[in-house]
Amino acid sequence: VPCVSGGLPKPTNITFLSINMKNILQWNPPQGLQGVEVTYSVQYFIYGQKKWLNKSECRNISRTYCDLSAETSDYERQYYAKAKAIWGTNCSKWAETGRFYPFLETQIGPPEVALTTDGKSISIVLTAPKKWKKNPEESSISLEQIYSNLKYNVSVHNTKSNRTWSQCVTNRTLVFSWLEPDTLYCVLVESFVPGPPRLAQPSEKQCVSTLKDQASTLKVK
Amino acid sequence: LRRCLISMDMRRMEESFRGIKNAIQAKDTFQNVTILSTSETLHSIKPLDVCCVTKNLLAFYVDRVFKDHQELSPQILRKTSSIANSFLYMQKTLQRCQEQRLCHCRQEAINATRIIHDTYDQLEVRSAAIKSLGELDILLAWIEKNHQGTSAA
Repeated sequence: VPCVSGGLPKPTNITFLSINMKNILQWNPPQGLQGVEVTYSVQYFIYGQKKWLNKSECRNISRTYCDLSAETSDYERQYYAKAKAIWGTNCSKWAETGRFYPFLETQIGPPEVALTTDGKSISIVLTAPKKWKKNPEESSISLEQIYSNLKYNVSVHNTKSNRTWSQCVTNRTLVFSWLEPDTLYCVLVESFVPGPPRLAQPSEKQCVSTLKDQASTLKVK
Repeated sequence: LRRCLISMDMRRMEESFRGIKNAIQAKDTFQNVTILSTSETLHSIKPLDVCCVTKNLLAFYVDRVFKDHQELSPQILRKTSSIANSFLYMQKTLQRCQEQRLCHCRQEAINATRIIHDTYDQLEVRSAAIKSLGELDILLAWIEKNHQGTSAA
């Protein structure tokens, strides 16, 4: 039964939250409807195509987000999405996103960081983050294949001197030798792509300690 | 064969575009038409044709889009003028390449550019200009992706 459009206020702040091309449409409930059991429906549009398409898994849902990763997986295309609130026979007008361009807007997640030490030096091996994929069986696409200029901000913190050393690198293997003995070093790494600013997510902090009684200075191989 | 690459600070153009993106794209009401649709046109350009397509696209924007775009907002005008000036600079760079016969135009490149002009011509001129400006992010991303590496210019 078609609902009466405009009988409810629209959802607000509708945007895409995109990380490694996992594209989640999210919105806030309409204002002034606290306590009312509102549901939502979602549609999306591929810029340049002909019509809006329903997202069937997000029809009459009560949550305020919808995963549109599969529908927006061609990251070089651009998209719109919209959601409307429904309550009984009343529904709101559509609340629509701006034009969404995954290639330029997705956040680049942190790389995997493998930290090893021989007691005197630290080796860091980075693995580039991977593009979202629909099925685990699908072959993975590294974001390095999409962004050939992907770089890494590596920060090494000496917990004894409380000094942090940072460098922007493109290679994925780094060795820090001649470190201070008996010292805990903590490492954080961020991926980034030169270009429009994107929110960054650092890796989880990892720490490793050097053995006692070694002379050291910080040198990158 | 050395490639003709533009070494250009894209950040300033990207920043200028970000300043007008929402306003310009909101004025583009024909969501079912795209002028630089990357999948059909730009995405299929081969490295050998990058210089010619870049030259033709810069000319498309300088000679048609920026001229056809009529704007009341001084803020938007400032941003589009800044982008236009950067495009003029890139055109000069490519001009030098052309003089060194490094910017050959094959039929594929000419066809790709013609599709863009044909699509532009199908729209009312102001709407076409607004749509093309709203797609500058596609063009800038394509230029950055295809003009990385050592520059011959």
